Amino acid sequence: MKPYQYGLLFLAFLLLGYNSVYFEKLSDRQAGAEADFDYGAYADSLYYQGMLQEVAAVELATLLADIRNDADAAFKNYGNRLGIGNSAYFMVKGSGVITGITEDAIRLQAAGVGDVGINTRYIFGNALRDASGLVKLTDFKTNAEFNRVSEALNALVRTKVMPPLIDALETGDSIAVVGAVKLSKKALDDPALMITPAQIIPQ
Amino acid sequence: MNLTFNNQLLRKSQSLIALFLLCLLIALLSDKFLTTSNLWNVLRQISVNVCIAVGMTLVVLMAGIDLSVGSVLAFSGAICAGLIKFGFAFESLDLFVGFTVLGGILGAMLVGLLLGLFNGWVITRFVVPPFVATLAMLTIARGLTMLYTKGIPISNLGPGLEFIGSGWLLGIPVPVWISLIVVLVFVFISRKTAFGRYIYAIGGNEKAAFLSGININRIKLAVYGLAGMLAAIGGVLVTARLNSAQPNAGMTYELDAIAAVVIGGTSLSGGVGSVTGTVIGAAIIGVLNNGLVLLNVSPFWQQVAKGVVILLAVIIDKMNRKEA
Repeated sequence: MKPYQYGLLFLAFLLLGYNSVYFEKLSDRQAGAEADFDYGAYADSLYYQGMLQEVAAVELATLLADIRNDADAAFKNYGNRLGIGNSAYFMVKGSGVITGITEDAIRLQAAGVGDVGINTRYIFGNALRDASGLVKLTDFKTNAEFNRVSEALNALVRTKVMPPLIDALETGDSIAVVGAVKLSKKALDDPALMITPAQIIPQ
Repeated sequence: MNLTFNNQLLRKSQSLIALFLLCLLIALLSDKFLTTSNLWNVLRQISVNVCIAVGMTLVVLMAGIDLSVGSVLAFSGAICAGLIKFGFAFESLDLFVGFTVLGGILGAMLVGLLLGLFNGWVITRFVVPPFVATLAMLTIARGLTMLYTKGIPISNLGPGLEFIGSGWLLGIPVPVWISLIVVLVFVFISRKTAFGRYIYAIGGNEKAAFLSGININRIKLAVYGLAGMLAAIGGVLVTARLNSAQPNAGMTYELDAIAAVVIGGTSLSGGVGSVTGTVIGAAIIGVLNNGLVLLNVSPFWQQVAKGVVILLAVIIDKMNRKEA
């Protein structure tokens, strides 16, 4: 390589580097972040004031019976969904006896329903946010902001609410559970029920 | 002589003819296939596989294999997301070093390059079979991805990166532009440069290549490095498309890349094949996937169909070589 080619290469690296990295005072950045919308605090209020106090969860057995009777009406009465489609989220409650505990889930023999799964590890997605019906897409400027609500809500339930509850549970214990399920009108024959929990109450 | 020429032309065009017939068949069975939005969707979907498969082509042309590309894709994608979202904070210096979208992409490419170079180094320095060395990297890179992301997706990476995955430029999706540039660069490299010819020479006869003075280890190192870097570009595209780095991204992508290479006519024993053939191979897989979805075929049967197509491609290739 000739010297001018090394020079051009150096300039290219300099240009790329200049456009790749930026520097800020950490304290300024932290102050700026605090001034931004606090999704953690929003998720806290959504969970403790909204989901636990305002949202009326339907009995799972009632929901399934109503769906068998008239799926459209049951989806309309109990379901929440953002747009059109065959699927909807439901905030449900039920109780039963734990038949198995794995790293990821609890199996519950629920009264009037049968075998139901409760997700204890992979609490992701929009199930809790959408089943609650408390948050509207139009409340946020972008989908990304709207999804950050789910992220914060899931993180709260996954890391703070669930661990102490789950650690105390054993097979054979009786519990009540409140949580979100997603059901599709296209797959209502013997749906595999997996609840994304909002609350587990030992009984 | 004319007949021989025609036979050769037919053989070279086999993948293209197969692609055309596949498109025709699916278009006849589904009226949604030939819609503009669906065709753009197919191109957008295959752009990731094209990037990975181009790197895989260079490796396979040298009679090697790289099983780690899916995991390298995931790790590079996670690095890209992590750099953009978190940067580096130095509390004692009260300093935050942030990365722009360009910085994240370059960081991901550097990581992909380094992992690829590590593959090449293990293969050349310790004479480990490529299958074993890259299989080890498959699990190493996946583990690193899990460690880095703590098993949780890194999401909300901003509109800049989202544009790379979902944006349009001059009426064409950005990922298609990127894969097109990758293809053009590597068609040029493989056809018009000494480096490209060395790759074919090593795959054709490694001993002869060595005796003719080619630095085989250096070429292998470079090729595995490039394969890693191209997997990283694939990782950036996947991360940008989802606006989120998923710890389990890229699972079994290496198989799709190898399938594209084989269907595109590159011989697994090296020395024969082309980047353009691989692009057609990737298009066949993409169209097949899309067609089977449009025709409501179960995902399990989709896997079977893909396997049968790969098998057919290899059998036809073997028969052609026997005839030649």
